[in-house]
Amino acid sequence: MTHRSLAAGSGASFPGAGARDEILFKVRGALSRRNDQLSPPPAWSVPSCPPECPQPGMERLLREIDNLGGITRQVKTRSELRSALVELAIAQGIQRATLWETRELAELRIGETLQGLGIRLVSPHADKSQLAECDLGVTGVDCALPETGTLLLCSSAVRPLSVSLLPRVHLAILGASVLRRDLAQALAEVRGRRAVCITGPSRTADIEMTLAVGVHGPRVLAVWALGTDFTPG
Amino acid sequence: MKTSPGKIHFRRNTQNIPARIPGAVQSATKRFLALRDAAVNEYGAEHWQELRQIGHDLRLHTLEHLDTYLEVLEKNVESAGGQVQWARTAEEARNIVREIAQRRNVRRVVKAKSMATEEIGLNKDLQSAGISVLETDLGEFIVQLAGDSPSHITGPALHLRKEDIAELFHARLGVVAPPDAEQLSRIAAARLRHEFLVADMGISGGNFLVADTGTLVLVTNEGNGRMCATLPPVYVAVVGIEKIIPDWQSLAVMLTLLPRNATGQKMTAYISLIGGVNAASTEDGATEFHLVLLDNGRSEILRHRILRETLLCIRCGACLNICPVYNNVGGHVYGWVYSGPIGAILTPQLLGLRKAGELPFASTLCGACNDICPVKIPITEILLCLRQRALESATGAIGSQQTMLRLGAQATALALASSRLYGWGAQALRVIQLPFLRNGWLPRLPPPLNRWTNSRPLPAFRTDFRKWWRHRNHGSSKTWRTRARSIVNKADQAASALRAWYRRRT
Repeated sequence: MTHRSLAAGSGASFPGAGARDEILFKVRGALSRRNDQLSPPPAWSVPSCPPECPQPGMERLLREIDNLGGITRQVKTRSELRSALVELAIAQGIQRATLWETRELAELRIGETLQGLGIRLVSPHADKSQLAECDLGVTGVDCALPETGTLLLCSSAVRPLSVSLLPRVHLAILGASVLRRDLAQALAEVRGRRAVCITGPSRTADIEMTLAVGVHGPRVLAVWALGTDFTPG
Repeated sequence: MKTSPGKIHFRRNTQNIPARIPGAVQSATKRFLALRDAAVNEYGAEHWQELRQIGHDLRLHTLEHLDTYLEVLEKNVESAGGQVQWARTAEEARNIVREIAQRRNVRRVVKAKSMATEEIGLNKDLQSAGISVLETDLGEFIVQLAGDSPSHITGPALHLRKEDIAELFHARLGVVAPPDAEQLSRIAAARLRHEFLVADMGISGGNFLVADTGTLVLVTNEGNGRMCATLPPVYVAVVGIEKIIPDWQSLAVMLTLLPRNATGQKMTAYISLIGGVNAASTEDGATEFHLVLLDNGRSEILRHRILRETLLCIRCGACLNICPVYNNVGGHVYGWVYSGPIGAILTPQLLGLRKAGELPFASTLCGACNDICPVKIPITEILLCLRQRALESATGAIGSQQTMLRLGAQATALALASSRLYGWGAQALRVIQLPFLRNGWLPRLPPPLNRWTNSRPLPAFRTDFRKWWRHRNHGSSKTWRTRARSIVNKADQAASALRAWYRRRT
């Protein structure tokens, strides 16, 4: 092959065929594989976190998120949850909020508590411009990775991903049952679903490698961990 | 935004580098590397090496079965409600995106950072069709505002200082901003917020395509990728055909390698896993998703067993950070969208050696890029392979250089093969150098030898090698005897002192 055939758009012509067939034809020609059978991908044994690290727990998750500039707290009782919401609403000047319509959040009565504080609730299915005006978006979490401080949120009809994106404060509430050992385990669970992994508040270092927190995504990421003996009242 | 550049004159470009560039580049790459080292050390250096090998094997396996994985991917994207379009060339890709935009009457496009769309020169094309295109990644936004092009894969505006950016914002946005990274970021974010909400179409590239489920994976930090993929009703992703990985297990490996090696993060702020569309209007997100699979020369690269590994690249940018050449010249001198070591091997293969034949020579072959690459691309081996082809193709300047090199090599071989010729040559050089000799140095030589003396003086030819060698042997054996004698003397003195001290004690 000379420089001529290296140039883009050159090579074997394939008159009359569509782009798809021509590309596949050229790829097959280039690979000149003897066997058309697809062998499975190579097996690998190293998990996506160092193998000897112990099963990390909730403390590690919250510490990692703290290190990334998130605000975390452990919530043991219903009254503590209420006072945490009051504190957050005051500290962040929350006036409008939206939240996932999941059973878990309904049981925690997050919506009622926020409304009780005089905060206007916006439907998570509202128009994107209305969601963008919300100060707070409250979501649950499907999986969490303590080692990296990552929260994995899956999308569904009652769990729009915009709730964790458009409001300037994102509050994620989770229990110990969502902790997973590593990314491979978490991804195996959500396989194929629309989802987002969130690791700390949005950030950039595009200007002189100086970290600036809060760009397009939420400026504040609050993560509250419910204690193992937490009982929604 | 250069669609198809003319011939890339790397050497000539290096003559016009603004003085501030190396400093700005080095301070950024130093930080990238420090963060990356910390992340790799925390992971465990040994396990990291194992993981790199796995990453290499997984990516190579995918490339070796690319046709099959492409078909699997297409089927799965379509069954999830997305549409797959194939583009043989940059022009076809531009046409596909422009036609989608025109069909949906798109006026405003928001774009997330994408090397593939830079490669095909998409922005310019859409703009010439009267469509407004706004880059939303902070670095890309700055570069677009400056009418510039990205100089680094992961840090597009890395060549600009915050003072330059503050001035740019003042001139182009009419805001007086202090040269403060956080405040400048906030200003840009505030400007872009409205644009996300009113855009008719979002465009991005893609970090990975998971064949098994037809999922597009976007790795970002700012949240703009999520905005582009979620808020506008139409979403288009332009992705090179080589970005496929087999399944979600492979994705776990890649997502462990990429952020750590790129920015030293254990995980980026956001990783979007985008599969299909909101067909039933029950979930949020775009209602129309197009995946444009871009060939643009990639299927040709697959042909060669070694060159093929160029396509393993996951665009982490670490090879740029570690490269001594990139650190001194920055990204723009590489003449196109891909810079640094990956640019030196990818650009010649995408544009052809006639245009980019100088790039494989833009390297010291130190091999630091091989060692830092998260998927173990044998970059130096590929560089050598491309150098050989560039010389074989013997076009233009490289052709005449090749003839001179061959003649020079033949003359040298002849002179070195005969001890008499060698001796005469060495004597002759001492005489020939006389007109150029200044204080024991040769500061300037006539062409073509001035290629050396333009950058540094050559030491004068003093004597021939055999004479020097004889003298050196003689000198060194003498020194050895003197040193041995002095050591024996010192040991003798120490022993006497010890004996005296022992006698006093007892």
